[in-house]
Amino acid sequence: MRMPPFELHTPSSLDEALSLAGDLQQSNQEFDWVAGGTDLLPNYKWHLNAKPHVISLAGVPELSELSETHIGAMVRLQDLADSEVVHPLVAKVSSMVASVMIRRSGTVGGNICLDTRCFWFNQSEEWRESIEWCYKCDCGTGADCRVIPNQNTQCVATYQADLAPVLMCLGATIHLAGPSQSRSMPLTEFFELDGITRNVLTPGELVTHLTLPDDVSEWRGDYQKLRQRESWDFPEAGVAVLWKSGPDGSPSDLRVATTGLESIPGFHSAEAIAALTGWNGGPSVDELAEAVRKAVKPVLNTWYPPSYRRKMVKVLTKRASSGLLEV
Amino acid sequence: MSEDKDRVEGYRQQSGKLPFSRPGSGGSRKMSEPRDEDKIANIRGNGGHKHDDVVTGSAVGRPTALIDGRWKVTGQAQYGDDVRLPGELVGRIVRSKHHYARVLSIDVSAATELPGVVAVATGQDASGRFGVLPVTKDEHAMAQEKVRHVGDLIACVAATDEATAREAVRLVEVEYEELEAVHDMRQGLENSEEPIHDRGKYHIGASNVQKRVFQEFGDIEGMSANAVVSHNSNWLFAGANHGFTEPHAVVANWDPSGRLTLYTPQQVPHYVHRALADVLDIPMHQINVHRTFVGGGFGGKSDPFPHEMCAAILSRKTGRPVRINFDREEVFWVNRGRHPSRIGMNLHADSKGRLCGIETDALIDGGAFASFGHVTTYYNGVLHTAPYEIGAFHYTGARVWTNKPASGAMRGHGAVNSRCAVEVGMDDLAEQLNVDPITLRLANLLPPHSATITGFRVTSIGMRECLERVRQASGWDDKFRKLPDGHGIGIGCGFFISGSGLPIHWEPNKFPHATVHLKIDMDGGVTVHTGAAEIGQGSDTVIAQSVAEVLGLPLDMIRIRSRETDTSPVDLGSYSSRVTFMNANAAISAAMEIRQELLEAAAAATDAPIERLVIGDRRIYRKDDPAVGVSYLEALHKAQEDKGALVSSGAYRTPPMGRVHKGAGAGIAPAYSFSAYVAEVKVDIETGQTKVLKVWAAHDCGKALNPLSVKGQIIGSCHMGLGQVLSEEMKYGRNGHLINPDLLDYKIPTIHEMPEIVPIIVESNDSEGPFGAKEAGEGPLLPILPAVCNAVYDAVGIRTSELPITPDRVHRMIEARCKHEGVTPLDLSSPELHHSELQEVLEARASEHASRDAMRATDPDPSDYNNGALFGFDPEIPADEQDERWVVSVTPSSDYMESPRLAGSAWKHTERRHGGDS
Repeated sequence: MRMPPFELHTPSSLDEALSLAGDLQQSNQEFDWVAGGTDLLPNYKWHLNAKPHVISLAGVPELSELSETHIGAMVRLQDLADSEVVHPLVAKVSSMVASVMIRRSGTVGGNICLDTRCFWFNQSEEWRESIEWCYKCDCGTGADCRVIPNQNTQCVATYQADLAPVLMCLGATIHLAGPSQSRSMPLTEFFELDGITRNVLTPGELVTHLTLPDDVSEWRGDYQKLRQRESWDFPEAGVAVLWKSGPDGSPSDLRVATTGLESIPGFHSAEAIAALTGWNGGPSVDELAEAVRKAVKPVLNTWYPPSYRRKMVKVLTKRASSGLLEV
Repeated sequence: MSEDKDRVEGYRQQSGKLPFSRPGSGGSRKMSEPRDEDKIANIRGNGGHKHDDVVTGSAVGRPTALIDGRWKVTGQAQYGDDVRLPGELVGRIVRSKHHYARVLSIDVSAATELPGVVAVATGQDASGRFGVLPVTKDEHAMAQEKVRHVGDLIACVAATDEATAREAVRLVEVEYEELEAVHDMRQGLENSEEPIHDRGKYHIGASNVQKRVFQEFGDIEGMSANAVVSHNSNWLFAGANHGFTEPHAVVANWDPSGRLTLYTPQQVPHYVHRALADVLDIPMHQINVHRTFVGGGFGGKSDPFPHEMCAAILSRKTGRPVRINFDREEVFWVNRGRHPSRIGMNLHADSKGRLCGIETDALIDGGAFASFGHVTTYYNGVLHTAPYEIGAFHYTGARVWTNKPASGAMRGHGAVNSRCAVEVGMDDLAEQLNVDPITLRLANLLPPHSATITGFRVTSIGMRECLERVRQASGWDDKFRKLPDGHGIGIGCGFFISGSGLPIHWEPNKFPHATVHLKIDMDGGVTVHTGAAEIGQGSDTVIAQSVAEVLGLPLDMIRIRSRETDTSPVDLGSYSSRVTFMNANAAISAAMEIRQELLEAAAAATDAPIERLVIGDRRIYRKDDPAVGVSYLEALHKAQEDKGALVSSGAYRTPPMGRVHKGAGAGIAPAYSFSAYVAEVKVDIETGQTKVLKVWAAHDCGKALNPLSVKGQIIGSCHMGLGQVLSEEMKYGRNGHLINPDLLDYKIPTIHEMPEIVPIIVESNDSEGPFGAKEAGEGPLLPILPAVCNAVYDAVGIRTSELPITPDRVHRMIEARCKHEGVTPLDLSSPELHHSELQEVLEARASEHASRDAMRATDPDPSDYNNGALFGFDPEIPADEQDERWVVSVTPSSDYMESPRLAGSAWKHTERRHGGDS
């Protein structure tokens, strides 16, 4: 495996990084940001949408701050897992990502912006040539989607990153910077359903950090991850359920988010509100789990068949909710 | 020097004339000491062994770190990809994009013109056919006319660097005519307009059947008639890849003297040596195959490979060394892994709890080439005719070509899948008979020194001890059918050849299976030349141990030269679990020759009668008066007086064995290993996820020459087998593409999935094995699959017939059971056992057989015992000679062909030469 040649830029400040990006944009040069590189570089080795320029964020110091309410995009996943200041569930989820070696390199920003995956897509160039390419990387052929043929309008590759659901449930705000402007938005609004673009980032923009609201410590909950092996594997399904407890012990607020099921993570506010209305303990959890199962529409492009993943969403939701039923 | 002052009695050295005589090589003790009998490995076990007299207590039977371990852990071992030669070029291969196509034209002009490209080769550069088995040579270095799977070789390029080579591959233009591909192995049984290969007059109809086997032994008619319970299952086994660490890598160098050296991590240098001569059309003596360190083989590096030919062809064209390294994906294209299989398994038990019949129908998916498939087709049947005594054996097997990467030999070659089906069937029979499954097995074992229904000569059998020890160690009697729901325990057994009885390329009586040369010069170190391929399994170490043991030397005085075919005797390499048995035997006989010379020299030096002399740690001395003796070096130098270096050659060949029916040679071996494992699992009833908690693994390896590596082999086998049972699977997408040719999506278990393994070594002391040893490399893999499947049944009451048991499959079966019983998963109950009257009958028989077996194991000349005695026949005569209902047949009857089973339907075709075609 060899990466196609590219020019590597190593800015030492955020400003420099953004001006580099601006310059490249102006000269119509395509580029990628690289943080930990644990996902981008394997994709480059497979010649998946590789660009002629890569801007490394490794030397940008502004992006590594970590506190209870601020998580820099360049915080390494293992540092997040080991952190005593972040919400314990964020640390736990981070510790469930891939393997320790990947976590030591991989970053929060990289995990949030992880490219979507599909077994028709994450293959070598020769392999993809043998299926005459696919929609997500068509190499100029206008190739069809291989998962759902004859729908050349949307890529259905699967978003398989772990951090997003729990951060969405904690009410995280994501902060972006670009050559011309900076902007912020709730993490739930960051993602846009499309397996190729997947989020609102425009060319030249990057994620600088996430902030969490001040009430973050009041949220409790769990994240459940479905995978074949307890290391390395991407989530085949992931469910985060978080809640705030009212004075009587029943939940006063409830949020549910999923990953590994569609091209972007799912934030299931309607289902959570429905369950919270007339909260009834176990039966409410069952209803919630069933509602979340119905809400997700996985396709056949990962290790497990979609029917199984969908059924497991119900089980995972129940398990992630088990703390709700403890008195 | 003080050493000279108190020199021992006997031959006197001339001081200063023998610079090698110093502590270390000569032995540090100046006086002989009586041998510590406790340090001498106890191999006497069952009534003595032919090698007892040459045991010195110096090396064998002790946990020994592998002698090449330091090379590996310090990074100094040179694997295929580490070889760097001056001026080398990088080769890359142009591969097929289509499953099946005719290659109409190949335009290499653009590639050739690319700066940095030195040569491009296509099928026209070498048209010679090759294949690992002489009867099924169906491979070429590169496509001759057709490509047969995605990834098949079309052309190759050599360039000054890798990037250029890869670019050149892109520039090769291939024009194809697509042909209709066969993906489903069942389709391979049917006639095809364009069979994947044409075997001329030997072609079977117009089908893609590459090999078919029909075998009937025993009371076929009575099989169902005598049965009170039967087990019927139809298994689907996914293909598995070896998943070795080191992808294939090869360097070919046509050197200035006109000889070719091929550096390759090969399990069988000799086969690639032969194939190179065929393909390159040069004599074998002009080729030196240099085996590098091998980063794992497991059967996946035992074929001669087309990329090895390509490197040699490119080197010949360019006059420069050419290196080809594989990406992991290419490893999956070349594959040779476990066959995807559809196995129908019926077992029948009679009212006395005897196995009155095994009916196996195995359709195996060979992919695009024959590889070892001829043998695999037999092994899927014949390797489950033991350890149980059976009333009938009916086997139909077929291997078909499909447009997939070729299947081949993989650890437990051909035996793994059907063994899993047999052992799960045994569990089901026990369930139906309401008896304990271990007791059922113990009451049906063949005794030591017996013949199976197919006529395999079985010598030592440690099966009973394996079963008894895992039963005890695992706490079986307190756990089986008694663990909480979702938690279960299961048993599985294994039986495997310890070295294939037939050499592939020659008659067993025309040339030895293994030859080992020894040379000892003045320094006293022993150089061992052997062609046994060290592939990480400890081959070099076990041969060094064997030589050290016989000569009474420390291990660091033995140096193994096993790398090059120029210096090593012809050897069949590392497959079929043959190295310890065959090469250690050859090494022992070579060492015994030198031992005799040393004893004679010592006798001359000490005036002691030779029969009174013994060899201890670097000393030879009178057993009854240890003060009288000479050091090893003194004896050596005395022996060298007239001829310089001592050299010897030892060889091993198998004794005549087996019967004479067609295919009788497949499965015969000079000895067989046995194993029994108990696995404890927890199944998540809601998700179907299976977690293996602990495995008790008893393996009969005859005698553990190196207990450390035997345990390593058991644990490694468990890991590999767990992969196949839990998660490893070559998945093919809807258009026939292999969708997971990488190690993220080909799910080899990680350390998290690995349970605690309790290895239990059972030593049955094989009368023909080296110091009593048998194999431990492949057999230990077999039992883990059924043990886990049976444990899953104990846990949740579902009987799997599809591997791997990924959570989605288990979940589907749990759902089906819930639906059937009208309950939710959490209310499912696990199975129960209430012993029937038969349990006592079986216990009594097992106990009776235990004493029978103990007697036979120690009897120096046991009487013949043929399969069938359990059914009332005279054990000394094959049952088919006593009762005409006991048949021996290797061709299907017209009755059978009226409703053949799946693989059996391969016999509906007529071989062309019998159909009037030529």
